[in-house]
Amino acid sequence: MIKLKHLTAKRGDFSLGPIDLELEEGSYLSILGPSGSGKTLFLETCMGLLEPRSGSIFLNDKDVTEFTPEKRQISYLPQDLALFPHLDVRANILFGGKQRKLDDKLSQTRLSDLIDLLDLHSIIDRHDVNTLSGGEKQRVALARALLPGPSLLFLDEPFSALDANIKRQLQVKLREINQQLGVTILHVTHDQEEAFMLGERIAVMIDGCLRQIGSPDEIYYRPESLEVARFLRNQNIYEMTLTKIDHDGFLHLENDIKLKAPAFQGVQVGDQIAAVIRAEEVVIIRPNKPIGPELQDNLFHCVLEDILAFGGTHTLTVCIANSSVTINIELPNCAMRDFGFKIGDELQISLRQRSLWSIKMDTNKESTDVAV
Amino acid sequence: MLRRDSVFKLTMLLPLALLAGYFLILVSSQTAFFSLDDFITQLGQQDIRSAIFLSLIAATASTTIAVILAIPAAYALARINFPGKRLLDTFIDLPMVLTPIALGTLILMSWNTAIGRLLSDLGLTLPFTLAGVILAQFTVIVAISVRMLKASFEQVDLRQEQVARLLGCSAFGSFLQITLPLARRGILAAIILTWARAIGEFGATVMVAGTARGQTATLPSSIYLAMSMADLPKAVTLVVILIVISLLVLFGLRMITETKA
Repeated sequence: MIKLKHLTAKRGDFSLGPIDLELEEGSYLSILGPSGSGKTLFLETCMGLLEPRSGSIFLNDKDVTEFTPEKRQISYLPQDLALFPHLDVRANILFGGKQRKLDDKLSQTRLSDLIDLLDLHSIIDRHDVNTLSGGEKQRVALARALLPGPSLLFLDEPFSALDANIKRQLQVKLREINQQLGVTILHVTHDQEEAFMLGERIAVMIDGCLRQIGSPDEIYYRPESLEVARFLRNQNIYEMTLTKIDHDGFLHLENDIKLKAPAFQGVQVGDQIAAVIRAEEVVIIRPNKPIGPELQDNLFHCVLEDILAFGGTHTLTVCIANSSVTINIELPNCAMRDFGFKIGDELQISLRQRSLWSIKMDTNKESTDVAV
Repeated sequence: MLRRDSVFKLTMLLPLALLAGYFLILVSSQTAFFSLDDFITQLGQQDIRSAIFLSLIAATASTTIAVILAIPAAYALARINFPGKRLLDTFIDLPMVLTPIALGTLILMSWNTAIGRLLSDLGLTLPFTLAGVILAQFTVIVAISVRMLKASFEQVDLRQEQVARLLGCSAFGSFLQITLPLARRGILAAIILTWARAIGEFGATVMVAGTARGQTATLPSSIYLAMSMADLPKAVTLVVILIVISLLVLFGLRMITETKA
């Protein structure tokens, strides 16, 4: 569908790439990155709005690097929607069909389908697009992007200005559009929840480069670098020294505490390793209950230092006894009620081996190499 | 607090009241010399009718040429990046800061260059011709036109043009279907203001085309001629005509800028 080969671009002092990426037909890729990481610049380069410095862009195996934007057959939904205020709702939606010289009957059929799909019945005859609400504008802009029947749809933070309920409705619609219409979608966002909910695959962009591409689980639980781990709000990252590699395939890591973690290739005793575990993967051992074999390693006695409530979950900060190491634990409210914890309580936790992920740190530079 | 606010507002309002009073004195001073009978008689005179006609024709022609050239030039300055853009952007403002007399001198001198001589040979002479009046007015107003149009184009959201391109518009299509309609109020305002500036132009016009009655004497140069010959009724009539035109322009402009997009 779309293939990028060593694509680089520059705007002012900011450099993008080099980026290599391949997207299958009908797939949904979320490009996740912090603000200012180059996500919009990346889309603009792919769409032909910005000339790349080097590299190539292929659409359906055709090199379109030199093509003007209108010849690339990509539809675009920008963050600010960019509806045309001098046109009414219907004319906005039909605009692309007219430009692409679609047959009138086909345009009207597609319009009618989009009215049903995006529930535009009550607003299709509105004259002034400025009188539409945020959610209505979003649906009109989406309909306008879809009417020409694009095989590729680029979305640039499309829901950032919407309230949570409308955002969720439209996210569900997008998934329908991807699955029912078979439109390949490339969606850039800084919203992690949105990226993980919608993307079949996720690419993490930091400082103009794609740092990791993978399934949502791979990105969430197995970050390939400290930068990705930190961006994905991994709250428990510990820089440790590898002291021993087991014959049965475990790494022994040591710092203030000792950890046993699954081994990976390319490491040797003495290496610096970052051990990562997500806050919701930390297991709290219930008192007077037998401890299963998978919880036997990495058991720690801790003291509860802080409790923060976040709507449906709580984050507990505990300090491992006889060390200065703190660990964050995320608990759903129902579990929190069962435990009835308060600050100062003593508890026992397990950092399960299968929940631990290790990243080999590159001691020559701040960022780290990939560890798989 | 409230009293302090009142003092502040008075400090700001007083100069405004003084300015309004001063303008009122300027305009009302005409009434001392104005009589409706004189006005009607003067309007019947050939040289006044000719000055009105010439001013309208020359201002419309120079504005048309200026706007036709200024629209793409202003768009280029607003949207296209090229080497030396800042320098060119500043250079194009030159006629706005240069006195019209100096501009007129420059135009006359340029007619002594090879290009000027070639144009003269082709029949485009400037002294005492309508072409001279139009060229003088064009030179004075084109920079204003570019400046105003550039501001209008900059106010159009670039993203709307980009979306139009991705929906299938060519660069020209996007310009004609999105940019121009969205900048239409600014373009109309620019046309009206440059036309008003053209119809009031005096210095460069006199320098280039002279003040031949019935040939190159526009409304402003006719006022100058009338005053230099102490013909007050004629001068007052011409001033009143210019005031009426100016007020119409200002009201038109206000209506355009205050109309909802």
